[in-house]
Formats: sequence, structure tokens, C-alpha cells
Amino acid sequence: MKPVPFFESAKAWWFGLLLALLAPFAAFNDYLLHMMVLWGIYSILALSLNIIVGFLGELTFGHAAFFGIGAYASALVVMGLGLPIWLGPLAAGLIAGAFGFAIGYVALRIVGPQFAILTLGFGAIIQTITNYWVDVTRGPMGISQIPPFKIEALGLDFSQASHMYFLVLACLTLAVYICRALQSSRTGRAYVAIRENPELAQSIGINTFKNKWLAFTVATTMAGVGGSLYGHYLRVITPDLMSLSYMSALIIMVIVGGKGTTLGPVIGAMVYIALLESLRAFGNLRLVIFAAMLILCVIFLPGGLISVWLRWQNRVREN
Amino acid sequence: MVFLQQLLNGLANGMGYVLIAVGLTLVFGVLRVVNFAHGEFFMLGAYVTYYGMTLIGMDYISALLVATLVVAGLGILANRFFFQPLKKEHEFTILLSSLGLALLLTHLAETIFGADPKYVDTPYSDATFSLGDITVTQQRIGVILVASAMIAATYWFIKHTRMGKMMQATAQNPEGAALSGINTKYVHAYTFALACALAALSGALVGPTAMLYPTVGDWAVLKGFIVVVMGGLGSVTGALLGGLILGVAESLGGGYISLGFKEAIGYAIIIVVLLLRPNGLFNPPASTK
Amino acid sequence: MSSLIPLLQAQKLSRHFGGLIAVNEVDFEVQAGEIVGLIGPNGAGKTTLFNMLCGSMAPTHGKIIFNGADCTSLSAHDMAQRGMARTFQITSLFPHLSVFDNVLTGTYRRQHTGWWASIQRQARHKQEEAEMALQASKILDFVGLSDRQDDLAMTLPYGDQRKLEIAIALATDPQLLLLDEPAAGMNPDEGAKLVGMIKDIRQRGVTVILVEHHMKVVMGVCDRVIVIASGQKIAEGVPQHVANHPEVIRVYLGREKVHA
Repeated sequence: MKPVPFFESAKAWWFGLLLALLAPFAAFNDYLLHMMVLWGIYSILALSLNIIVGFLGELTFGHAAFFGIGAYASALVVMGLGLPIWLGPLAAGLIAGAFGFAIGYVALRIVGPQFAILTLGFGAIIQTITNYWVDVTRGPMGISQIPPFKIEALGLDFSQASHMYFLVLACLTLAVYICRALQSSRTGRAYVAIRENPELAQSIGINTFKNKWLAFTVATTMAGVGGSLYGHYLRVITPDLMSLSYMSALIIMVIVGGKGTTLGPVIGAMVYIALLESLRAFGNLRLVIFAAMLILCVIFLPGGLISVWLRWQNRVREN
Repeated sequence: MVFLQQLLNGLANGMGYVLIAVGLTLVFGVLRVVNFAHGEFFMLGAYVTYYGMTLIGMDYISALLVATLVVAGLGILANRFFFQPLKKEHEFTILLSSLGLALLLTHLAETIFGADPKYVDTPYSDATFSLGDITVTQQRIGVILVASAMIAATYWFIKHTRMGKMMQATAQNPEGAALSGINTKYVHAYTFALACALAALSGALVGPTAMLYPTVGDWAVLKGFIVVVMGGLGSVTGALLGGLILGVAESLGGGYISLGFKEAIGYAIIIVVLLLRPNGLFNPPASTK
Repeated sequence: MSSLIPLLQAQKLSRHFGGLIAVNEVDFEVQAGEIVGLIGPNGAGKTTLFNMLCGSMAPTHGKIIFNGADCTSLSAHDMAQRGMARTFQITSLFPHLSVFDNVLTGTYRRQHTGWWASIQRQARHKQEEAEMALQASKILDFVGLSDRQDDLAMTLPYGDQRKLEIAIALATDPQLLLLDEPAAGMNPDEGAKLVGMIKDIRQRGVTVILVEHHMKVVMGVCDRVIVIASGQKIAEGVPQHVANHPEVIRVYLGREKVHA
């Protein structure tokens, strides 16, 4: 068997976790910390999208909707129903997951471009409903003054970047763990099989529909929890969260980072946020650059930036 | 009567959708490509018309014609440098790259033209035409008339010209067409140019009826997909019927039910049709195992 | 070697496509441990019959009984779960995975721990993962692809790809293996090796049904041969008997001469 590449080994991840824990102390201002929090949240979202796009190999355009559903569910449950704030992420995951369960059941029998258009339709209709159901969602104005997570007894206020970062990092670690557990299980192999050759997968006993359904539900649940973290941190959410701009951003993170791997989406989120901020002077041109990166990666570097590292590693090993 | 008013508006919108959808469905039928960037050619058609009038000082009709030709040319370039090289790739790759192209064009437009909405002023956009209780801008009438003429022309073109027949052959059997001596590369380029011309025309016609902003391409391609899903991928007749149905359904729904309904009905149609009649409403249902 | 209940029974199996009858009331049985050949001219309905047995096509009429249970309406993955494995006429692999990973993926149905067990770091999960890797190695040894185990499947030469296909099917630990033209595109040397491999597969306790055109392979390895023509079974028996059967000679006249 081929030796496991360094970055896929547990050692590398522990090292990465260490770096991530130390990073905030090297950050010289709050703004940088804020970027790191966003990186963490986007990484979780990108990992969730990666389950569908990377592992299953299906392009979905509706994923941002589950992110939005999670954000709204959490805010409404806490603000509207008065439930304790730590139930917010739970509700977000459950409700987003329930939507994913239902939509997945009907949508996953379809594949390819039609699946992409179908998920686009689902995403768009959810966004429209959120926009127009003003009584509940407050429409285009969105929901503001969402209460942040707090642990009063320990003086922790998670609306502050320096505190939120560690909460997000904990969630990201969990998300990474779940994805790696997938990769080293027969379920992960089944997803890859479904992606590579669905007919062959069926003939070795893999129920392609049930497996896709499970993956979709887990992915949407994860996106929902990410939405909750987002909402209680930024404290303002609008239906824009479900728009094509967020969707495209997530796709770019997954593809440019490296689909089908666990490190890829995390790197992709990092690159996205770093460029978004460092190229601020370029204005809208940044988005042109991202689009160009997407196109270049799709055509010339289908494995994303991670594949460059992998190729370099292989060359090093051969020498 | 409100009903007839809504109906007429719906037909005008519908014809705009048909122009977009015909191009989208032709590109799928002949090139087997689902082009997410198709709406961008609608957007460019509208902007070139706008700048033709405001920067160069052309009159509306000339600007419209120039826009149609220029964007058709851009379409040929897009096909040559983007879709043709990718032909052998997996469906996933082509889909994703067309998304990339759409994003690229939208954001370039944003950067170059600015994100603020533009108002395309034509001699027809304010002048109205009244018949009894019904009032409609001349622009809207223009949309219906010109679009109808173009669609009829496109029909005639596909059925009776040599290129049109080659397009049909390539759509039905790409390998067979190539083997029988048809230069499929040329047919592809032609089809793409035609599709983009129709989309640009739609942009030039419909642009003046509303505000113009760089992200309108997303809206346009979405409408295109709704119609193509209804009509069946590859069917021009389906696109015609689907576009009109959508336009009228939206208009009547918006008038009698709610604005939310108007926006949602298209998406609901995508969902219901793809789940129940994936081959389109007007084709025989997909066969089971 | 004959048991009372056949491993596989096809009862009046039929498949219609509109007005066309592709398979017409075919009856046969396969006992555990047999190697049965399914032959017939092109367009005879062998592939359709094959696909019905595997579950990828539903019969219009008739029954399929596998291991004593009615499996007529089961889908392909259900049949595979019950112990029926198959290969495809056109080479079907996981092209971008390594040879080893291809076979490892094939062990799917033998494993019982999945994502959840992996998350919980269950001891049983670790055990099963190691066991599956071991099994994959053994099967690669068996088909002779161990030295290429890290190569990508799509880089393999044709003959090795066909071997890999069989390896993937064997990885499922099947009771019945259905081979769809395994000798296609093989030279006589490779064909002889294939015959050897099929016999070895039977030694492992796997029953084999093969659809095949290469008569040398069929005659060399099959205990029994079933001949299908125009959707119907026209002959059945030991290779010698079938080779001399007048009906069989008639349908093959002008196509391939049937050698003993």
C-alpha cells in the first residue's frame, strides 16, 4: 500500500491544530482575528459542500440555502421561541438537516446538470420564501441584534473575535475529524465509488441512492451548524446568505483548495479570505480574480492547490 | 381589464424569455453543453446597446443591431477558446467552467460598467399605446413583435437552410454527422453565435423595460433554465411554449396572488418538472427501466 | 457435488421491449460449484438474460431464485449484497483509483462498520479495516496484480484491467460470479491463463456463469453449456454434447465453427 502523504496523516493535523491554536497570539490586531474567525466558519461550510461536490462528485447550487436555513433557524429559535442560546446550533443543524433529508430524498435520483439546476431551483425558492415571509423572517431587512454566545461565569463573550475564534476552531476540529473519519471508512470508499463509476458501485453492493442521501443530509446539517455560528457571531443575517454570491464563494473555496480532500476546503477558505482582504484595493476586480482562479483550476488543476503540494511531495519522495 | 393588461405584459416578458431559452436549448441540443454563462450574453447585449446609444450616440435600432452582432462575435470567441477545448472533458468540468465564465463576465461588467443600475432610454420605452383600458409601452409591443419575428426566422432557418439542417443532424447524432462530412466545429460556432445573438437581442429589447445592472445575467440564465426545463432540453418549440407559459404565469400570479408568488413560481416549476417530467412538459415521459 | 437446491434458478424468464421479445421463457438451473457457460450468436439475448440475473434489468415475466429466495424484483446492489458478483462487457473500473484501492472498494459488502463506527474509533472498525486491506492484498496475489497495486487503474494494459475487474468482483466474496465475455480481446495465451484463473476461482468455492464467444475458453473450462438463440434456450449439456447438437450447429453455421 502507498504510504499516506504527510498532510493526510494524523500527525500533520495535530501540527495544524497547534498552529491554529497559536495563531491568534501572532495576530497583531482584532481585524486579523476577525478574519480568522471567518476563515474558521467558511472552512466548516466549505467542508460540508465538499462532501457533496468532492466526495460524491455532484455539483450542487443550492448549498448556501442550508447555510441560510441554519442561520435563520438558530436566530429564530433563540429570539422567537426564547430557547437557551446553546440550543441554537442544535436547532440549526436539525432543521437544516431535515430540509436536506427531504430535498435529498426527491432530488438525489437525478444527476449531472439536471441535479445542478434542480438544487439551484430549491435554493432559489428557499431564498424567495425567506425574502417574502416577512412576518417570520423580517424579509429583506433580515434579522439583527442576534444574541451572541456567552459563558458569563467564565467571562467569555463569543461576539468578540478573540473568544469566538476558539469556539469556531473547536467546531472546525470536529468537522475535520468527521470528514477524516469518513475518508478512512468503507462509507468514504463507497462515495468515491459512486463518484467514479456508479454502475460498478451498484454491482458491488453499494446502494447508491441511500449513500448519497446520507451524505447530503450530513452535509446540510453541517452547513446549518455553520450558519448558526455565523449568525450569532456577526449578529446580522439577511436572505443574501442564500444567494449565488455566497454559493459561488463556497464553490471556489472547495475547487481552488482541492475537492475530495479534507485539507483542500480548509486551505481554499484561507486563500479566499486572505485574497479578499489583501486585495481590498482592487474592489470588484477581486471577484474577477476569483472567477479566473476557478476557471484555471477547473481546467488545469482539477485537484486544486492541494494537488500541487501532493505532486511536490511525490517528487521529493521519489528522490 | 386588469386581466388583459397582465396577459399582455406576461406575453411581452415571455417572449423575452423565449429568446433567451431558444439559444440555451440550441447550445445544449447541438453542442451538448449546459451553459451557465448564457445569461451574460443577455447582459452584454443590453449594455452594448446602452453604451452604443450613450457613448457613441447611435440611435436605438442601430445600437440594438450592433449589440446583437458584437455579442454574437463574442459568442464565437467564447466557443472557440472556452467550450471547444473543453469538449472532451467530463460534464462536471464543463458545467463548473461555464459557472466560472459567468462569474468572470458578471464581475468584469461590474468593474468596467459599474454596479449602479443604468436606465436604457429608447424612443419607445416611454411612449405608450392604448386600446381601451389596456396601456402598454411601445417597447413592450416591440419586444413581442421583434421576438416573434426572430423566432419565426429561427424556425425557418433551422428547417430550411443548409446550416439549419446541419445543426439538426449534429444535434441528433454528433458522430454520425461528423462522419457524413459535416464540419461540426463550424456548426458549433454557428450555433453558439446564433444563441448569443438571440440572447443579446433579448437583452437589447428587454433592457429598456427595466433597470440594467451587471448581475442581470444571473436572472436571465435562471429564466432560461426554467423555460428549457419546461420545454425539454433541445426543443425549440418547447422553449417557445415554455417561455410564454412562464411569462403569463408570472404576470397573472404577480397580479392576482402576490409578488412573492411571481418570483417563486419559476423555481417551483423547475422543481416540479425536473422531478416529475424530466424530459420536459411537452415530450413523452422518460421511460423507466 | 450436486446439492438438492440449486444455487440459481431461472424460471420462464422473459423480457419484452415493446413488441420485441428479447428473452423468451428461458429455464435453467445452476448448482453450487459449477462452471456454466452461456453461449449463442450475437443478438441472441444473452446480454439481456445476463442483466436480468444480475438485477440491472427487470424481467417482464418469470422468476429468479437465488439461494432458495425469490430475487426476481431485486436491484443490482441487492443482488450483490446477496452474494452475486458480476463483471461488465466493456471494462468497468474505478479509473482514477489505484489497483489496490479498486479491490479494497470491492470489499464493501463484507464490512459492517462504516462512518459512524469510524467516528467512534471503534476497535471493531480498526479490525475490519485491517482485515479488508488484507483480503484485498490476497486477491491481488490471486489474480497476479500485486506488483502493480499502486498504479492507477486507467494506466493498466487491457489484459490487466480485465484481471482487475475480476479481482474487484472476487473482493465481494461472492457465491456466484457472472462473467460477461471475460476473454474478449484476449490472445490464445491470455485465454489459456483465464481458463486457469476461472478454475482456480471455482476451487475457492465460487460458482461461475460466463457469457462468452471464445469457444476454446468455453469448451476448456465449462462443466455445462447453455445455448441461447433468438431469446430461447435451444440446447443444454456438457460441452461435447452441445458442440455436436444439430440445432446449435445450425445457428452457428456461417458464424463460428464450434470446436470440441
